Amino acid sequence: MELKSTREGTNLIVDVEGRVDGTNAMDFQSALEDAIQQSDQGVIMDMGQLQYISSAGLRVILLVAKSLQKQNAKLLGCALSESVREIFAISGFDKIVPVHESRADALKALED
Amino acid sequence: MTESEAESYRILVVDDEPDVEPLMLQRMRRHIRSGRYSFVFAQNGVEALEVLNSDPDIDMVVSDINMPRMDGLTLLSQIAELNPDLRAVIVSAYGDMKNIRTAMNRGAFDFVTKPLDFDDLQVTIERTLENMKAWKEALSSRDKLVSLQRELDVASQMQQSILPTQFPRGDDFEVFGSMEPARNVGGDFFDVVLLDDGEIGLAIADVSGKGVPAALFMMSSRTLLKGSAIGLTEPGKVLREVNNLLAEDNESAMFVTVLYAVYNPATGHLAYANGGHNLPVIFHGDGSSSVLPYTDGLALAVLSGVEFVEGEITLAPGDTLVLYTDGVTEAMDSENVEFGMDRLQTVFAGGAPQSAEAANEAVFAAVREFVAGAPQSDDITCLTLRRGGAQG
Repeated sequence: MELKSTREGTNLIVDVEGRVDGTNAMDFQSALEDAIQQSDQGVIMDMGQLQYISSAGLRVILLVAKSLQKQNAKLLGCALSESVREIFAISGFDKIVPVHESRADALKALED
Repeated sequence: MTESEAESYRILVVDDEPDVEPLMLQRMRRHIRSGRYSFVFAQNGVEALEVLNSDPDIDMVVSDINMPRMDGLTLLSQIAELNPDLRAVIVSAYGDMKNIRTAMNRGAFDFVTKPLDFDDLQVTIERTLENMKAWKEALSSRDKLVSLQRELDVASQMQQSILPTQFPRGDDFEVFGSMEPARNVGGDFFDVVLLDDGEIGLAIADVSGKGVPAALFMMSSRTLLKGSAIGLTEPGKVLREVNNLLAEDNESAMFVTVLYAVYNPATGHLAYANGGHNLPVIFHGDGSSSVLPYTDGLALAVLSGVEFVEGEITLAPGDTLVLYTDGVTEAMDSENVEFGMDRLQTVFAGGAPQSAEAANEAVFAAVREFVAGAPQSDDITCLTLRRGGAQG
């Protein structure tokens, strides 16, 4: 699992690569928590290079979504591969994290 | 003699029928003589509370429901306040689902029905004691700093103690379930609940997280699911109720995916709702297979107030429904290739399974052969329902 983040104004964009499962979910969590700042209005998780996410990884996403909600910020996903999209659809997590086709679409959704 | 055989447990039996005491002592004499069980008797809830107050060594309670002075349901509420570590099993009239449901919601661990089958009672007592032991260890591990391995052992005992070991079967259906636990992760469980009018509730679930907190969460999920399943006939309502209860104060953000189905053996009708779980596969008599149609839902405990859409199908004679967890489809070989849905759907391409147990074993065997010794990273669980009769 690799995590890279860039900032666009008050939004944070996080690129997640590789696999997130029980063995590295804790690292995933601390990397995300380190990247997110109190002032962030929106966080976009670009999952274009994410091959797989297990329930342990989804739990980290839920934790992050809950804590962002407390600071009135949003968590969005974008560019999901077919298999990750399916995981989000079956688990129903696309209800918690709105999923967009591309990074541009996600940024646009944050502006609206 | 192993250590576990040397342990002894004190059981309080509460029943207003005078026959129960001599019968229990007679039928359980082997376990009394071996020192594993000792019994104390009370005739109603009031007497039972007096015994519990004066005898702190009691480990579990087996109680009737209808009794003078204080009934079994009131006793259950009192026990929960007196000592939350005590486990209770309720004895009720066959088909008395309303009272059984109330009992489960008040924290009963399980129930048996009258007329008492003592072999069944003994199996239930053993499961209850095992669960109580695991629960106590889990609570003490949670409060202490324990090694990760120790914590995982406790969690795994907890998990084993809630899995059913006996499965219902009739002239035209059978059920079988099993789990192969992973060495260090895991949170799978399944349950089979006998409902009103001969219907059968089938649940398969996967709790996110590991260790003692996940095991305690699993325990609440299982009890709430069983309590809700009894008395609520529609699967969508069952999941809605369990979800709302679990979502309250869920700061830890744990969640559980659950597929819950209600099967009618007389008609082959299956109603189901899905809380974010992998969709079961139906293997048909002719060797073909299909996936249970998707219905809208969300993993439980994530968000309260969610509605779960219900789906329904009718199993044809010879159809086998396999509920499974992602430990099956996401099992990986040494090259990190997943077993996947396609392989699962072709397990029976050579011929439909002839029994529920054979179907379960064939899935496990196919996964084992595929991974070829690569380390198992998640629990592998299957719960199978087969409709018998003429082959399609």
